[in-house]
Amino acid sequence: MNCSTIDLKAYVLGELPESERGRVAGHVRDCASCGEELERLNLTHLALVSLRDEEAPRRIAFVSDKVFEPRWWQRMWQSGPVMGFASAAVLACAILAHGAMRTATTPRAAAVDTAAIERQVSAGVNERLNEAVTQAVTKAVADSEARQKRETATLLAAVDQKYEFQRKADLAAVATNMDIMRKEQARMFMASTGLEMRAQ
Amino acid sequence: MIFREVEDRDLIAKARRGDVDAYSILVSRWEKRIFNYLLRLVGNREEAMDLSQDVFLKAWQNLKKLEDAGRFSSWLFRIAHNEAFSLLRKNRPEVELSGDPTVADRAPRLFPVELTLAVERALTRLSDDQREAILLKVYQGFKFEEMAEILGCPVSTIKSRVYAALDLLKDTLAPVGARGVQ
Repeated sequence: MNCSTIDLKAYVLGELPESERGRVAGHVRDCASCGEELERLNLTHLALVSLRDEEAPRRIAFVSDKVFEPRWWQRMWQSGPVMGFASAAVLACAILAHGAMRTATTPRAAAVDTAAIERQVSAGVNERLNEAVTQAVTKAVADSEARQKRETATLLAAVDQKYEFQRKADLAAVATNMDIMRKEQARMFMASTGLEMRAQ
Repeated sequence: MIFREVEDRDLIAKARRGDVDAYSILVSRWEKRIFNYLLRLVGNREEAMDLSQDVFLKAWQNLKKLEDAGRFSSWLFRIAHNEAFSLLRKNRPEVELSGDPTVADRAPRLFPVELTLAVERALTRLSDDQREAILLKVYQGFKFEEMAEILGCPVSTIKSRVYAALDLLKDTLAPVGARGVQ
């Protein structure tokens, strides 16, 4: 086998397929120069890999760099447990807030609204009440006046009728008295005339 | 590795939806590799740290452009490569191989500390392209095809860089006559 076809460096660096490695190993056993070259390459490789990695003097700043720190909502969004806890907390807060608003906010809102509403209602009621009272009073006064007028008229009519009856009665009495007087006068006349006639 | 890739896919999907926590985990998984890659490439701890930050920042900003989450590592290292070479070009307009590989140190037996220093020294003698090729191949374990994708080069170019770098490193770390590394 020709030594020039043997790639000892690829062999040492692990770049050869298994079949090729066997061929190289077989050649090296029979070829002293290639064996010595392989030994030097192995020593070189061993020397190189004996150099240990060093620890970095400090962590990459990326990890703690503020610029790259996620925002609070990103951290929360990306963390399942935190997200779950936050969701529960938000839900609890929502329930509490809802409860508090129902118990505490409603009276306050009512107080505020009531004051305004009361003023409005009061003004409206007062206005309508005044109108109603005015109308009622007016109507009552009107009715009263009408009733008084009617009563007055009735009384006047009754008085008139009474006076008329009285007058008629008086007139009738006067007429009666006049008749009586005329009859008396006539009787007296007749009496006086009779007397004279008898006297005659 | 497969599990890691699956987990990475999940993290990438979350990060693409704006999940910063998922991206932070992704960063923590890759920051050491990226930092060491950049450190061995630019050779300066502070610069490597700054570059690492830039890499992850750009990755975050462009994460939605990543079409295949399975290629995240290649994509991330490509960003790192661009950042590193942007700095290297600024610092060293003429990117040349430093040192003379033909005058390599001869050290048949090395103690661990000496070996570490020798490896680091040998790596600095490579050109930036060669060093990067070794870093991606030996330290990050990418295949030639993946490296070609990261670096935007043909596979042949990648192989050429890796092989040339290995030859130089071999002369430094395993000179002729050396029998082992302790």
